[in-house]
Amino acid sequence: MKNVYLTPGQSVLNKPETYVYIDKEEKTDEDRELILQLKRGKMKAFRKLVEKYKKPAFFIALGLVGNREDAYDISQEAFTRVYTSLGRFNPQHKFFSWFYAILSNLCKNHLRSREIRGRYIRSVDDDAEMSSQTNPAPGPDVLMERNERSLRLWEEISELPLEFKEIIILKHFQGYSYKEISQMLNIPLGSVMSRLYYARKKLKDNLKDILT
Amino acid sequence: MKCEEVKPYLMSHLDGEIEPEKRSEIEKHLEECEDCTKEYQAFVKLKQETDKMKLADLSDELWNGYWKGVYRRIERGVGWIFLSIGAIILLSFGAYQFFKELLADPNISLIVKIGVSIGALGAIILLVSIVRERLFLCKTERYGEVER
Ligand SMILES: [Zn+2]
Repeated sequence: MKNVYLTPGQSVLNKPETYVYIDKEEKTDEDRELILQLKRGKMKAFRKLVEKYKKPAFFIALGLVGNREDAYDISQEAFTRVYTSLGRFNPQHKFFSWFYAILSNLCKNHLRSREIRGRYIRSVDDDAEMSSQTNPAPGPDVLMERNERSLRLWEEISELPLEFKEIIILKHFQGYSYKEISQMLNIPLGSVMSRLYYARKKLKDNLKDILT
Repeated sequence: MKCEEVKPYLMSHLDGEIEPEKRSEIEKHLEECEDCTKEYQAFVKLKQETDKMKLADLSDELWNGYWKGVYRRIERGVGWIFLSIGAIILLSFGAYQFFKELLADPNISLIVKIGVSIGALGAIILLVSIVRERLFLCKTERYGEVER
């Protein structure tokens, strides 16, 4: 028989249309089983893991670095890190939380080196065009529909401090629950709520003109 | 409840992640407090706006090639490690042989021996440094090779 859970934090009284029934135990057990097989050298298990998480990996990276080629590359690199540092994975933890730590670190390093390169080029050549090349404005090809409002919103999200950008992406574009976010960012539930509050507040203040 | 305490719960209310008791507490505050109500409505609008925005998907071709890309990276990483180890073993053996003969040769002046030795030491340091970079640091910088 299957255990049926509500998604964490979802109370019975609110939004009955958003009930999501998922078999949590089975889900995490599946990852654990795949990792065990991978540790025994089964590449097939690794492939399964990659196929299962490639989309969230790519879209999270895209949200963080704002560029499709880099996001594709970085997310692939994150999976190879999984493979090479498998010994450091604590099977007590959820695979995706661990994976998220690897992925977001790679994204942060990438953003940092992009920023340093940008600063260097600016100091060598005071050309505004050059600096926008190294720190490309979020490409419009990132969005499905390119209307003015979406572009503006995407731009504002991209310019948020990383900590805020991260939580907006996890909540809005990936639709993770507070509990899942708290595991991924390794912060208490209360901090998820307050960080989300400050992130959204900043966003809404910057977007005052289009939100009224 | 004070407004400051209410704010984080505006989020869990908005996202439908609030406990029933907290929910009625917050709703009661909203009925009485105009500021928080205004702010809440702005958050609702923001959420509607972000919900409308969708990120563009990749082509099937790129998704299908995804695993291959990961696999190739691992393969290359392993290849690099073996290549480096092999090269280091061969180079050190060669260097050892070379110096043994060089230093033992009475026909070569001391100054040449010293010069060559210091030069070789520099080469070894550079080599070690490059190998270390390849193995530990360089991976983060290898973002140039996406095929489209
Ligand atoms: Zn209030």
